[in-house]
Order: sequence, then C-alpha cells, then structure tokens
Amino acid sequence: MASLTLKGITKRFGKIVALSGVDLHVEDGQFCVLLGPSGCGKSTLLNIIAGLILQDEGSVLLDGQSVDRLAPRDRDVAMVFQSYALYPHMKVAQNLGFGLRMRGVPKQSIRERVLEAARLLGIEDLLDRKPGDLSGGQRQRVAMGRAMVRRPRVFLLDEPLSNLDARLRAGVRLELKQLHRQIKSTIIYVTHDQVEAMTLGDQVVVMRHGKIHQIGRPETIYERPADTFVATFIGSPEMNLYRGRLLRKDDRLHFQGPGFSLDLRGLQINLEESEVEVGIRPEDIGIGQGGTTILQAKVEMISNVGSEKYIHAHLGQGTLTVRAPKEAAFQPGQIIPLTIDPHRVHIFHEGRRI
Amino acid sequence: MSREYFEQTIIRILRVVGLIFFIIIVAFPFYWMIVSSFKSLGEILLRPANLGLDIRKIDFHAYYAVLFEHGFLQYISNSVYVSILTVVLSVTLATVGGYAVTRLRFRGRKIMSYSILLIYMFPAIVLVIPLYVMFSRMGLRDSINLLILVYLAQTLPVALYMLKSYFQTLPPEMEHAGLIDGCSRLGVIWRIVIPLSAPALASVALYTFMIAWNEFLFAFMFLDTPEKFTLSRGVVQLAQSVHLSKQLVMAASVTVTIPILVLFLFFERCLVRGLTAGAMKG
Repeated sequence: MASLTLKGITKRFGKIVALSGVDLHVEDGQFCVLLGPSGCGKSTLLNIIAGLILQDEGSVLLDGQSVDRLAPRDRDVAMVFQSYALYPHMKVAQNLGFGLRMRGVPKQSIRERVLEAARLLGIEDLLDRKPGDLSGGQRQRVAMGRAMVRRPRVFLLDEPLSNLDARLRAGVRLELKQLHRQIKSTIIYVTHDQVEAMTLGDQVVVMRHGKIHQIGRPETIYERPADTFVATFIGSPEMNLYRGRLLRKDDRLHFQGPGFSLDLRGLQINLEESEVEVGIRPEDIGIGQGGTTILQAKVEMISNVGSEKYIHAHLGQGTLTVRAPKEAAFQPGQIIPLTIDPHRVHIFHEGRRI
Repeated sequence: MSREYFEQTIIRILRVVGLIFFIIIVAFPFYWMIVSSFKSLGEILLRPANLGLDIRKIDFHAYYAVLFEHGFLQYISNSVYVSILTVVLSVTLATVGGYAVTRLRFRGRKIMSYSILLIYMFPAIVLVIPLYVMFSRMGLRDSINLLILVYLAQTLPVALYMLKSYFQTLPPEMEHAGLIDGCSRLGVIWRIVIPLSAPALASVALYTFMIAWNEFLFAFMFLDTPEKFTLSRGVVQLAQSVHLSKQLVMAASVTVTIPILVLFLFFERCLVRGLTAGAMKG
C-alpha cells in the first residue's frame, strides 16, 4: 500500500483542457472518491495515475516517489474498468492470475493467491469458466479479483458499479466498503453517483471542468459545500438556491430574495448591500409555525417517493423544494407556512462559501 | 391460394433454380478438369465429348507424368516455399503495422493509414514493366525470393487494411488492463490482441496464400529458369509445350487447385466470429 500525491496535473486534448492544475493527496489506506459530472476529467485523472495517459504538466507520486517515467506495468497499480475488460479467451482463474504470471510469480503461489481472492469474493465456483458465461455481477467480481490478486500499491476503480442494475449495485457497494475495511488498501474510486461517493469515501473530491472544487470528508462536503457547484451537485433533491442581496434592517440581517425576504438574525456577515446566493437544503425547511423565520409558499406539486414526500412550491418568484414526512397531506394550491433556522442556511458570495 | 403463399413459392423456386444455375457454372469446369485428368490420352482422343468417367478405367498416369517427368514436384515445392513465406511475412508485418495505425498516436498516422490502400489502387500490369526493367538492371531477376518481395508488396496493403478494421473492433480497455497487469506493448499484442484476432488472422493468411499461390503475371515475367518456376508458371509452360496432351494439363491444374481447396475447407472453421464475447459488460 502507498500514499498518492498529485502535483499540478494538467492535460490538454488539442484545445480542450481536460485537467488544469490538479493537486491531491491521498493517505495510505484511504478510500478516495473522485466525484463529478461526466466530462469533468475524473477518468482522465485515473488514467494518468495508471500511466495509460501521460500528463502535459505536473507529477504523480507514490509514497513520495515520482512515477512519471514509469510504464503502467512498473507503477504497481491495479485498475478495475467500467466495462470490466476481462480477457475473454482466458478462464476466470487465468484472468485472475494473469498479472502475477506476467510478473514471474511461481505457479504454486499464483494458485494460492487466486484461490484466496476468489474465496474473498465468493467466486470459487467460477474459476473454470470463461467471462462469456458469467453474469454482469459475476464479471464485476472477477474484475475486482483480478485487481486484488496483485496486491498493488494503489487500486484504481473507474465507475465499477455503473453497469450493474440498481439492486445489485447497492449490495456490491456494501461489500466493497467491507472489503476495503478488510484489506485496508489505498483506493481511488471514480464515480458520478453521489450516493456511492457519500457512502464509500473517506475523502471525496468534487470535480468539474478539469478542476477540483472541494476535497473533504463526505459530511463536510454535504454540510459545508465550498461553492455553489458543490452545493447543488451534492444532495438529492437539489439544494434550493436564490440570488439576492444582504440588507440590514432594524439592526437585523435580511436576505432580500426574488419576491421574498429571509430573516437571518444572529448571523455575523460583513457583506451588507452585496449580491449573494443563499442555499437551503430541502430537509432544513420546517413546515408550520414555531421556528425562527417564517415564509409563505404555495404548493404546486407533490412527489411521493414512498419513504417521504417532496413538496415543490412557489416562493416569491422562485421555486422551492421541501422534504416532508410521508404522512404530510397537502393539496396543490395550498399556502403553507415554512420555518428556516438561519444557522442552517448556506451563503455564497461570488460563488464561494462565506 | 393466398397471395403471400404464392409469393413464397415463387421465391423458393427461383432460389433453387438460381442455385442450380450457379453451381453448374462454377462446378462444371472443375468437374471436367478432374474427370479429364483421370483419362488416358487414347480415351480423350476417341471420345472428346464424353463427360462421364468409367471407374474401371481410371488412369493415374497423367499425375505420375506431371509430377516426375515434367518437374511439377519441384514447382510444388517452389510454390509452397513462396506462399508460406509470403503468408508468414505478410501476417506478421500486417499485425504489427495494423496495430500501430489503430492504437498508437504518431505523426503522419492518418496519411499512413489512408495511403495503405492507395498503393493497392495501381494495377499489377502497370507495375510489372518498370519492375522488370529495374530488377533486371539490379541483377535480381530470376530469383524466387524476389517473387516473395513482390507478393508481399501486393498483399500487405489489403492485409493491413483487414487487420486494422478488425483491431478497431477490439475494446482498448482490454489492452489497458494488459498494460497495467504487466505486459509491454508487444506483450499485449502477443497475449491479448493476437489470440482474440484469430479469425481475422486466419482470413488474412488464407487471402495472402491464395494470392501467392495463384499469382501468374509476375512469376511469368521474373522467372526464367525452369527449376525456379512456381506452379501456375509451370502449368502454362506445360500447356505451351509442343506435344500438348490434355490430360497432363488437367492433372497439373488439379495439383494447383487441390491445396487451395483443402486449405479453404480447413480454415473456414476458424473464420467464425465472436471470440471477444464476454470481455465487456455484455
């Protein structure tokens, strides 16, 4: 196992800048998730770490040692591909042992390690089959096993669950988390699925347009998003975000949004009269009187997801989504009172959190 | 009778009639060649229009004469040498070259990959005279190895193009996996690309072999010494000889045709597709 450091990684494809100045440090044994919408450069970054793509600028370090000049096979990393990329002409056992065979490991210990990995993943019965005879979930396990058998310094996983159906995905996600706890390896995991990122990662790296927007623990990313992109990208349903102005009235701070005013008493911000954006998570809005700040919203539509309900409403000239318990009974057109704790409100100035 | 049934019947009848028609066109000369090669000269002269073959009168003498008296044993060995070497060289070079234009990024890659086929656009007859003059002056004419070089030039463009098209269908992630698992580029080609390309390699080998085995024009122009003749050149030599006896020419033609036929039937089984099934998500 090893720690991974990226220093100022930049990559251009023609005129398109895929990555610009990416800095990252992943501790030994950490599960690091690269999260971002498609085209944000996360897979390119993974390929650069593996050595499959060469960066234009910057450096990749494993345990503090630069590996920029090493070929993929000499970097001692293992990769699990989105498409699994198993060798179709080899049996599962040969697929698992291929990396060891290429490294000249004696046959006997290859067999032992293949068996050990197969046992850990529950694929002992499949060792004599070919990838073509396996189901999607089984192939995924073989792909994982092929990486594990090698005992590499760093695991690179490129959206390994995205080809599984939803139910299987939830199961494998849990197993992956347990597996990481067992083998305590350094993992770089690429995904566009925020649930995977939040549940798996020790460290989540949010990326867009080839840049890192925020690095932090899942809780931090969710509770204290660094900018409006992270704020709206993480969380479902999406955070409510309003553009407006901070005002001081009767010695109290107010947010003047589009067609509504929000009392922000108790907050200390020195940005009076500035343009800001205010974000409120759907679960941070209370329905009914009793809280500090009271607003009126008009119910437009209700989505029932079973365990709870999302209420889509009009607030001033904007829209608002509120998370409500499944028992909530509202009708479209109804006016509902809302309470918001000023300390649960996220305020962004020029896109950045304050 | 419904209209659909009527149409189906017509199509079925047309299909059978068409098939029979083409089988006759293709198979008849072949049949006649074989039948004639088993007859004695007297038999042919007595009843030239006789299409049948009397099993009791089968005569292998023509084959004996062709092989041992007219030097065809030497011609066969020459042809085998030329064809096999052409196949080995062509397949090897086309694999490496086709892989390069498919996967590697280098300056001039696009021009390279287009110009491959451009070379093939020149008809052989345009090239043969200048090449004849050139090789004569270089003193390289009348050499069997020269013939291999010419056949290589003739088959390599198509071989490259075929393999390039096939390599493009292979998922690159599989090769990336190989690179990470510890292979070099050549290792990836040898252990992953080649095993998965077996059907394409078989077709390329078959195509190259057929060209090299059947080629006549260059063999006719470049070879002077009878000991160096290839089979096709030998057959023409035989057909032009003064004491023309038809059964000999027919027997010679059969010896040219049979190896190709056997090879095709053997390789045909390898030409099945779908070896990559199971690599990807499916």
